[in-house]
Amino acid sequence: MTAAVSENSEVTVLLVDDNPQNLKVLYETLKDKGYRLLIANEGEKALDLAHRHQPEVVLLDIMMPEMDGYEVCERLKADPETADCAVVFLSALDDLEAKVKGFALGGADYISKPFQSQEVIARVKTHARVIRLERELQARNRELQSDQARILNSISEGIYGLDENGTIEFANPAAAVIMRCPVEDLIGRNFFETHFSTAAQCPDGLPVNATCRQGVAENQRDIRMLRADDTGFPAEYRSAPKLDGEELHGAVVVFRDITAELEGERALEEARELVQEQRDQLAHTSRLTTMGEMAAGVAHEVNQPLTAIANYARVSKRMMAVENPNLTLLQETLDKIEAQSHRASEIIRRIRRFMKKPATGKEVLSVSSLLEDTRQFAEVDARNNDGAIELIVPEDVPDILADPVQVQQVALNLIRNALEATRTAESDLPVEVTAQVTEGSCVRIEVRDYGVGLAEDAEEKLFLPFYTTKDEGMGIGLSTCRSLIQAQGGEIGFERPEDGGGARFFFTLPVAAPSPSTSDESSCGAV
Amino acid sequence: MTDIQQTVYVVEDDEAVRDSLELLLKSDGKPVKTYENAAVFLKEYSEKMAGCIVLDIRMPGMDGMELQKKLNDKHSILPIIFVTGHGDVPMAVDAMKEGAVDFIQKPYREEALLEKIEAALEQDLEQRKTLDEKQEIIRRVKSLTPREHEIMDRMIEGQANKVIAIELEISQRTVEIHRSRVMHKMGTHSLAHLVRMVLSVKNLIDAR
Repeated sequence: MTAAVSENSEVTVLLVDDNPQNLKVLYETLKDKGYRLLIANEGEKALDLAHRHQPEVVLLDIMMPEMDGYEVCERLKADPETADCAVVFLSALDDLEAKVKGFALGGADYISKPFQSQEVIARVKTHARVIRLERELQARNRELQSDQARILNSISEGIYGLDENGTIEFANPAAAVIMRCPVEDLIGRNFFETHFSTAAQCPDGLPVNATCRQGVAENQRDIRMLRADDTGFPAEYRSAPKLDGEELHGAVVVFRDITAELEGERALEEARELVQEQRDQLAHTSRLTTMGEMAAGVAHEVNQPLTAIANYARVSKRMMAVENPNLTLLQETLDKIEAQSHRASEIIRRIRRFMKKPATGKEVLSVSSLLEDTRQFAEVDARNNDGAIELIVPEDVPDILADPVQVQQVALNLIRNALEATRTAESDLPVEVTAQVTEGSCVRIEVRDYGVGLAEDAEEKLFLPFYTTKDEGMGIGLSTCRSLIQAQGGEIGFERPEDGGGARFFFTLPVAAPSPSTSDESSCGAV
Repeated sequence: MTDIQQTVYVVEDDEAVRDSLELLLKSDGKPVKTYENAAVFLKEYSEKMAGCIVLDIRMPGMDGMELQKKLNDKHSILPIIFVTGHGDVPMAVDAMKEGAVDFIQKPYREEALLEKIEAALEQDLEQRKTLDEKQEIIRRVKSLTPREHEIMDRMIEGQANKVIAIELEISQRTVEIHRSRVMHKMGTHSLAHLVRMVLSVKNLIDAR
């Protein structure tokens, strides 16, 4: 209540004197000054009134029968309801001892009888104001304290106030909940000994130690803390030094139990791994599908060297059957057999590498040899599809950092699509495969065909799973390609060529860092 | 009848297969000529070629099936053995419908291939023999005078000499003389044989 009306309003003054004459004079003196005046002619009455009305100022006669002023004062100060009132003693006794005793008992002032009315008015006014201010201050303090308490109580993180030795001086209710013991049990205990099993062995390295000792703020995660019952939990905490000016007075620690959080993170990590695994699985399935589609071509491709080997072997046997075999010719034929078996195993090697189950991880790759290998692979199909593939990789194209199997899978997929589009359009123009460096330190690989092109609305759906324009397609090819390229930090897309129709697909891959040791995760952002 | 020089014509795009097959057939004592694609063979093709073709069904550019069609258009009688890969059976069936003599799947056993080649050469020989015979018949037919030709046509239709004489307004005796000349020129004594000979080349004569 701070209503600053007439400054005396609501101020209660209690007048205590056994002499009615004196009371009358005091009453007359103060009656028109806006105070609420209470009157008592003996100690008991005075105490009763004071307890009920909590006067700001008590004018108290010392010499009274029954209970004298000193006792009344003592008892006023003992009652919490009235302890804060200003007691002004009134007495004819004008000796020093009496005054000192009065002050010693909590008196605020002293007025000698016979008193001057001006003096009475002035002193009452002064003390009334002091008490009023004091009471307001206290009310304000209480308000602030309860605000603070509410805040501290409502925070879900545990809060400790520690002194410089780590003794817990303050703990909020959340701290008690986390530690599973009442706040009172926490107060006074040593933070380090209570919460860390290693406190005895190496007290210096413990969390919060540096904050308490050197005033260094700390912030750590996944620290193992012990509860009162010796069970442990993972915690995250921040500690700040409690400073009074330059002086260090301990630390404030804010902490929380991160068990659930860690579990959430673990679950997320597991989910991520699962997604990765499934993507690899899908990529592998897609490679198997591709190989299935290419089976006839592959069989043909392997049969060529096998047929040649069988023929050469027969020829060799005939050569040996004659009397004086021509060894030079025989040697030549055997060399041819050897070359053909290398050829067959090269085809099989290529297939095996392509079918390999888990992706091998990123490597530094030469773009030209990777694409050349892919081209030879795709030619198995080109033979079936009657198409040609033209590969142009300039000298200055740098090596890339990527998974060879997955890049080859993407390139092969795009080339095969291009060949099919070319065949459908009955075009004679070859599929063009080119590579070039782009600004964002990426290599851009393009597959251009002069085939049937794509429908108007294809762009939006092209890379979506299960979208296909083919009768026998499953629609996982391009969507798999996209997830593979994105996993390599690249992009994949489609453009309609300005000239000559057909389609142009492209993908980008990050250039390998110059030195393998500094190969950061690089990526090709949107251009 | 002249002795025909038969050659095995190998059309195969794969160099190793082509080379090994050439060596193999040569070691078996067969004349061989190889071609690296269908277009080259088609350019060199002539009616005089005898023997058989060993043709790869799958080739870049013109494939085996297309070459077969082009040769059919040229009335080639060269027997074709198609060489197929795994999974090409439906193609091979189509090829057979178009008149291929046989097909063989890669990789093949030498014996099987040689057997098929022998059979094809035999068939070629047969075809050539009948073809020579037919050409002889045509030569003989062409040696007939228009009157003799007319009378032969009526003989084949089964008209009696008397009927021919009345319809052509000539004497029966004259018909008899023409008739014996026809039989002489066609080199036969039997009317039945004459009928068979003429019918066998009928389409060839009509075509000309």
